[in-house]
Amino acid sequence: MVFAHGFGCDQNMWRFVAPAFEDRYRTVLFDHVGAGGSDLSAYDPARYATLDGYADDVVALARALGVRRGVFVGHSVSAMVGILAAKAAPELFDTLVLVCPSPRYVDDAEDGYVGGFTAAQVEELLNFLDSNHMGWSQAMAPTIMGNADRPELGAELTNSFCRTDPDIAKRFARTTFLSDNRADLENVAARCLVIQCAEDVIAPREVGEYVHRNLPGSALVLLDATGHCPNLSAPEATVAAIEAFLRG
Amino acid sequence: MDEATPTSGVQEADDLADLFENAPCGYASALPSGRLSKVNRTLATWTGYPAGHLVGRRFLDLLTIAGKIYYETHFAPLLRMQGFFNEVALDLVRADGQTLPVLVNAVVRRDEAGEIRFIRITVFNASDRRRYERDLLAARRAADEATAALRELNLTLETRVAERTAQRDRAWRLSQELLIVALPDGTLESVNPTWAELLGWRDDELIGRSFAAYTHPDDLAATLAAFAAILERPLTVPYEYRFRHKDGSYRSFAWTAAFEDGRVYASGRDTTLEREQADALRQSQKMEAVGQLTGGLAHDFNNLLAGIAGSLEMMQTRMRQGRVEDVARYMAAAQGAARRAAALTHRLLAFSRRQTLDPRPTDVNRLVAGMHELIQRTVGPGIPVEVAAGARLWTALVDASQLENALLNLCINARDAMPDGGRITVETANARFDARAARQHDMPEGQYLALCVADTGTGMPPEVVARVFEPFFTTKPMGAGTGLGLSMIYGFAKQSGGEVRVRSEVGAGTRVSIFLPRHHGDAEVEDKVAAGPARPRSGQGETVLVVDDEPTVRMLLADILEDLGYTAIEASDSAAGLKLLQSDVRIDLLVTDVGLPGGMNGRQMADAGRARRPDLKVLFITGYAENAALGEGHMAPGMAVVTKPFSVDAMAERVRAMIEAPRPA
Repeated sequence: MVFAHGFGCDQNMWRFVAPAFEDRYRTVLFDHVGAGGSDLSAYDPARYATLDGYADDVVALARALGVRRGVFVGHSVSAMVGILAAKAAPELFDTLVLVCPSPRYVDDAEDGYVGGFTAAQVEELLNFLDSNHMGWSQAMAPTIMGNADRPELGAELTNSFCRTDPDIAKRFARTTFLSDNRADLENVAARCLVIQCAEDVIAPREVGEYVHRNLPGSALVLLDATGHCPNLSAPEATVAAIEAFLRG
Repeated sequence: MDEATPTSGVQEADDLADLFENAPCGYASALPSGRLSKVNRTLATWTGYPAGHLVGRRFLDLLTIAGKIYYETHFAPLLRMQGFFNEVALDLVRADGQTLPVLVNAVVRRDEAGEIRFIRITVFNASDRRRYERDLLAARRAADEATAALRELNLTLETRVAERTAQRDRAWRLSQELLIVALPDGTLESVNPTWAELLGWRDDELIGRSFAAYTHPDDLAATLAAFAAILERPLTVPYEYRFRHKDGSYRSFAWTAAFEDGRVYASGRDTTLEREQADALRQSQKMEAVGQLTGGLAHDFNNLLAGIAGSLEMMQTRMRQGRVEDVARYMAAAQGAARRAAALTHRLLAFSRRQTLDPRPTDVNRLVAGMHELIQRTVGPGIPVEVAAGARLWTALVDASQLENALLNLCINARDAMPDGGRITVETANARFDARAARQHDMPEGQYLALCVADTGTGMPPEVVARVFEPFFTTKPMGAGTGLGLSMIYGFAKQSGGEVRVRSEVGAGTRVSIFLPRHHGDAEVEDKVAAGPARPRSGQGETVLVVDDEPTVRMLLADILEDLGYTAIEASDSAAGLKLLQSDVRIDLLVTDVGLPGGMNGRQMADAGRARRPDLKVLFITGYAENAALGEGHMAPGMAVVTKPFSVDAMAERVRAMIEAPRPA
């Protein structure tokens, strides 16, 4: 059972969920390249400019670990990464758990698609990313990431749960929020569970319902949780939903 | 309790409420769901919303779109996982749409059972700090950029210098011209590889030595002068001289150069080929001219010879027939043809500038006056010839008869330029050319006597004027002119140390001026000796040694001398002549050809003879002027020259005059 974190933070996102499956599954947690404890030098902006780069990593990882007919649990953008990986190597996963997925974050007026963000908002986000280090004080950011020879300093200044290189985070945000993987929802062989939160500014309900609608045979569970991270804000409900699906 | 002293409990509660509401930071409490339950006045004021409006909303609703996303993906998870986050930089969106930079701390408060009671959010206004950060980052970026720019400049500067150096080096190496850097004394300091290619010398064979060591000896003086001038001003008009190749041959190079900062920089273009081609062209032109000349001469001479030979034959016939009275006619015809032949060779020699001039101080005004009538008769009554004689005219050192020829020739040209009549003016004047005037008139500096012939004729366009001195160039119809006139005048003027200048304008006429150098001295007044009807005869047994390799001339001379009553001794070459000179035989006069076989020329033989007979009188006869042998017309005392052909009378007169003259001291 492979757990993949989304944009922001790292495998710590699964700290309240993954342990619940350890008794029945071999659980695999990992950090995407550019996040958490990954080798930042392995980050290649061209390779990770689309989600396919991340999906290729998942396939390679699963193959290296000999995963077959496994369960892939992907949060946020990694839900789509899981779909791409499963389509690329169908033998790896026969079950996909998609936590707060979104095949496209920007509204598409022509198709009547609601992604949750207007084109102007995404534009604003991207401009902001270009001009700022997000979240951490700008003067601090170089200190955080500029001590390659003292990684513990960076870790201390931020925290041990959410290590992010600001420059890579910007690129990851761009890849994520400009992605459009709606077409990839077709012909997915694996069983799919869509977990949707009641109040999520990043992946609103319409998006979860769209994914469910476009994945024939998929199940949709709507959690009474706010925010984009039910694995943190409502771990018990999340675990229960996954277990119910795996049983069924 | 009275009102002035409220209970400490109430006071404390008021103070706390006041502190909460009006603290210099924003306070908010949120429920586990993230919805705000309490907001202080400070935060409400910052956002521009009433506090009540904010309760029930989520904190991220107050953020910009990027803030919302980062909050949801980074900070909310962080708060869940570690229970707090500190100093998160976010932007609040105020009610009026403006953004407010803030730093946000959040901490989860739990009860004893570990359940979340509320989340305390503290918000600091970070406007100033954000500005400092921005300034700091801008300063750091500017510093980084300046450093990078400096590094870039250093790198490119080196590259640029290297590139330019390589470029200059290539120009130096690849130039097809010789390039040098030399010290002011001519020592070569640096030479380019073309030297090895064109002249065979290696660098080390040239550097440290003076260019003079390789210069053709004949060019050396002029080249050293040209080099010295470079130190004064740049050499822009190429100066050409011959430089020795390693194989010993010489190559011509045309140099330009400049002097700067203690060094001479020069480049030399190989003109060897050009020079050879020019020489070859000149040679072929010369051959062509010689061909024309000899062809024309052969024709003229054949005509004259036909007249002479025919007359002689007729004389023989008549004498055999006894018709002696008819002989005189043929004799006159033969003599006339011979005179014309003599005149022809004279003209040729003048053209070749090899005529034997007999320059004497001459009063040119007197010469012109003497010629006036002859000129007028020659040009005919339709064209008046006016003479404008300059006052106090200087004397010229010139061959008077040649000057007469030149004057007549110019007047004939002037007449031919005026088919419809006009006027000829012959003018004399003194002319001084100082440096400036000389430059202006393209004349060598100096004092001259000018003899000018001007007409009012058709004139000539500039392209014709440019060619008038070329031999065989003529504007006259075929047969009307030889094309030698002006070129002979030019040759005569140059040989006399002077110049000729032509000014002409189409329709206005032509003016030809002969400039002769001023002679400081009085003119010789020629005392015309009235030619007596009888040739002077001698009776004192004077002896004359005749040396000539041409038997007819020798015989003729001997006969003339015998007729004059002198004793003639003959020798056919210089060796025989000298032998006689060194003997004790009486010799009153030596008459000798200049060009002689026998190891010496006539002049050398005469000089050798004078070693034995210091007061020996010598009369040279020459077919054309061996001027070098005779000393360019400057005869030693007791020596004189007569040119062939000569008239018997003239020769007799000359011989007699010399014999009767006192012996030279």
